[in-house]
Amino acid sequence: MTEKVVKLNVINEPKESYTGGPSSLCPGCGHDQISTVIINAAWENGIEPHRIAKMSGIGCSSKTPAYYLGQSHGFNTVHGRMPSVTTGANAVHPDLLYLGVSGDGDSASIGIGQLIHAIRRNLDMVYIVENNGVYGLTKGQYSATADIGSQKKKGKVNKTQPIDLCALAVNLGCTFVARSFSGSKSQLTSLIKAAMSHKGFALIDVISPCVTFNNNDESMKSYGYVKDNEITLHMADYIPHFNPVPEVEVPEGHYRDITLHDGSVIRLETISEEHDPGNAVAALSALHQAEQEKKHVTGLLYFNPNKESFTEELNLPLKALIHHSDDELRPTKAQLDAINQALLG
Amino acid sequence: MAPIINDFTLNIATANGTGSQSANLILLQSIFEMGIEVSGKNLFPSNISGLPTWYIIRVSDQGYQAPGNRVDLQVLVNPATWEEDLAALEPGTVVVWNSDGKMPMEREDVISYPIPMNSLARKLNPKLAKLVSNIIYVGALAEILGIENEALESAVMKQFKGKASAIELNTSALSLGREYFIENLSKQDNYVLEPRERKQERFFIEGNEATALGCIFGGVQMLSWYPITPSSSLAESIIAYVPKLRLNSEGEPTVAIIQSEDELAAAGMVIGAGWAGARGMTATSGPGISLMQEFIGLAYFAEVPSVFWDVNRVGPSTGLPTRTQQSDIQILYEGSHGDTQHIVLIPGTVEECFEFGWKAFDVAERYQTPVFGLSDLDLGMNRWSCAGFDYPDQPMDRGKVIRDKDVFEAFEDFGRYKDFDGDGIPYRTLPGSGMDPILYRGTGHNEKGKYSEKPEDYLYLMNRLRQKITNARNDLPAPILRQEDECEIGIIYLGSMENSIQEIDDILESTGMKVSQCRVRALPLHGEVEAFIERHEMVIVLEINRDGQLYAIIRKEIPNHLVPKVHSVAYSDGMPPRGKIYAEKILKKIEEVRL
Repeated sequence: MTEKVVKLNVINEPKESYTGGPSSLCPGCGHDQISTVIINAAWENGIEPHRIAKMSGIGCSSKTPAYYLGQSHGFNTVHGRMPSVTTGANAVHPDLLYLGVSGDGDSASIGIGQLIHAIRRNLDMVYIVENNGVYGLTKGQYSATADIGSQKKKGKVNKTQPIDLCALAVNLGCTFVARSFSGSKSQLTSLIKAAMSHKGFALIDVISPCVTFNNNDESMKSYGYVKDNEITLHMADYIPHFNPVPEVEVPEGHYRDITLHDGSVIRLETISEEHDPGNAVAALSALHQAEQEKKHVTGLLYFNPNKESFTEELNLPLKALIHHSDDELRPTKAQLDAINQALLG
Repeated sequence: MAPIINDFTLNIATANGTGSQSANLILLQSIFEMGIEVSGKNLFPSNISGLPTWYIIRVSDQGYQAPGNRVDLQVLVNPATWEEDLAALEPGTVVVWNSDGKMPMEREDVISYPIPMNSLARKLNPKLAKLVSNIIYVGALAEILGIENEALESAVMKQFKGKASAIELNTSALSLGREYFIENLSKQDNYVLEPRERKQERFFIEGNEATALGCIFGGVQMLSWYPITPSSSLAESIIAYVPKLRLNSEGEPTVAIIQSEDELAAAGMVIGAGWAGARGMTATSGPGISLMQEFIGLAYFAEVPSVFWDVNRVGPSTGLPTRTQQSDIQILYEGSHGDTQHIVLIPGTVEECFEFGWKAFDVAERYQTPVFGLSDLDLGMNRWSCAGFDYPDQPMDRGKVIRDKDVFEAFEDFGRYKDFDGDGIPYRTLPGSGMDPILYRGTGHNEKGKYSEKPEDYLYLMNRLRQKITNARNDLPAPILRQEDECEIGIIYLGSMENSIQEIDDILESTGMKVSQCRVRALPLHGEVEAFIERHEMVIVLEINRDGQLYAIIRKEIPNHLVPKVHSVAYSDGMPPRGKIYAEKILKKIEEVRL
């Protein structure tokens, strides 16, 4: 018998170093597919597990950090408030890779204020929305991302205007905006890897069908509907910084290489019309057109590498604040004496 | 007529945003410069410009700092409150009034000093006449009360910190006011200021600035805040001191300061910083504390060190945003849903604002829990006399954090929420360390931090949390006792009531009774509080609110046999506490009980 060879990544870690506990979600849930993609992306990107911080709010999606990256610290916070907890942690410990997972209830309703302000600040984090249009844990109420004309398994057709998180993010100057589908494993993997290489706020809105409450044919967020109505902007390949960029056979002008902050590259291969991710108007136009046609447009919608991230703007020391010694944090007695003296006038 | 030396209450009625604040502070500072015990309270509206504002100065050789029982001297500048202010005065009150104000002086039973404040000011500087007119009454008062020029000049220098043109203009205006009085009026009242020798040099400082300095010396690493009266100046003072005290050799700040989108986010940021291993804090007031409730429960349950300063204002709801109260005691002590209990530090002086400012971080990290500082508008936004701040007498206590792999590996069967030492306080590792990576959560969890709904796991956790906080009680700042041998009446009080207690005590003791005092400085209650109750025949819990919140906590926590002798005197009308009102309420309560 030959010994089974354990595959290692670039930092010699097996994939087991990136897996988590067993999922308690419904069998077939889109969220579990995303968890698998997260595990693969982190492993293949060769990120040390202890350098990742898993952040989440409350809901089905926010439970998933227990199912991946078991060797990473994490914080399952309160409903809709993961961005603020991440902001506080990021300010004092910017060296970690903050990987947030949220849902459409957590992000588009109760937490929309915090999401908006995290985007405004260009908080350095990956923010994945596992978007299924319904509240799962409370048994199937519509969320604020339910599409007009969509109907969940039990209930009336939704007529309320949905919030398109990608359009919202583009309008707020978010520096990395993408939409994907839990069933598009290859595209999603590239996008999550690219988001991990980005410095700034990376929003990935992933349509992730709820198999229990919103996977019927009348639902615009069902597996069947999304498969039939997905408009893919481009093929996305991720080339990590530790691999040389390969020569390609696609003719010039038919692909676009975007270099990310850590030197990795996301290669976008044109499918039909070319989409320029540097153009916010093009991104919004693609989103609005898809909405009108009752379609879902996926891919890297918008990207801007030139904006200072949250901690850069704070002008904090290169050494993370949490690594400062007590002596560096408490001024001296002589300094207090001088303050007392100055106050005496 | 015998002079009344260093003993009066002066009320100044002006309009908000007219520059009267700096005039009043110059007056206050100049009396202070003479070595006299003096305090000032700013009664301001929730408004930027135009609405009535009053400034109350109390001068007292006994060191009484609350506004006196009656107004002895009144300055009338604001036409809007003129009639009301004038009507409220007792006969014989000294009234310094603006004779350019087109308002009549309709009282003949007062000592009237009309001063043409506008025309004098216009003569000096037509453009800045509105601002200067306030300084004119300070000049006149200086002459009336006998404030030395040297003291005035020193006060002006401090107020305008080297701005030559402002110093010159204000000094001239002061002289104009003084000269006008000398040339046109004569002193008919008997209030006099006499210089005193101060044993120790002292300065004036607001409680919020003192707390801010304390936080800076506590090594704050992250401040998140949302502007709200009366706490904004706490956060802004921290920001102002960073360039002087908290830059590294590269000129970069060693504290991250984030103005958040609301108080919920401010609380979340504090918890994020605490979870990452840093000293995070926020400063807010009651409405902010209400918004933070869910996060406070998370910090308690997931055991995240975090510091919250509450500068209490009048509630409920938006309440009276610019007035003082002690009404957030229970929401801090028992904040958030479910069974919770929090540590609250309660300064009563500016020195304690500084001390508890740095100490709060040590306590939060030692007990891995939210810690509240409870100040109030009176202490936080008024200037108080201070002998200087003492450097922290202990090194920082960072709590049970495992930073070393060898230490970690020496634990047998480690669990983040396991009580290894029998004190209820577990050990923690930090994100990024690679040691014991767990998913922090607000859901039920076992000793290892894993999700659990098992009764034994829930009970273990809840009982340990109770033990942890209860154990802290005698480790927190002990009450300050002023005890009589007779142990007849005992008064338990807290916070800024410190500024009124001496006067209350003197009024009560003037009736012949013997009164001891116990100022609570932390929750949960120190063991000394119970012992104080045990020793006294009757105990009054005195506080600035309607319902007796501290009383409720004491009643709940003392043994049953002590409950019958503890009584509540709680009162708040939105005004800063006045000694006589509280003394009378105490006397009435004692009478009721004795019947």
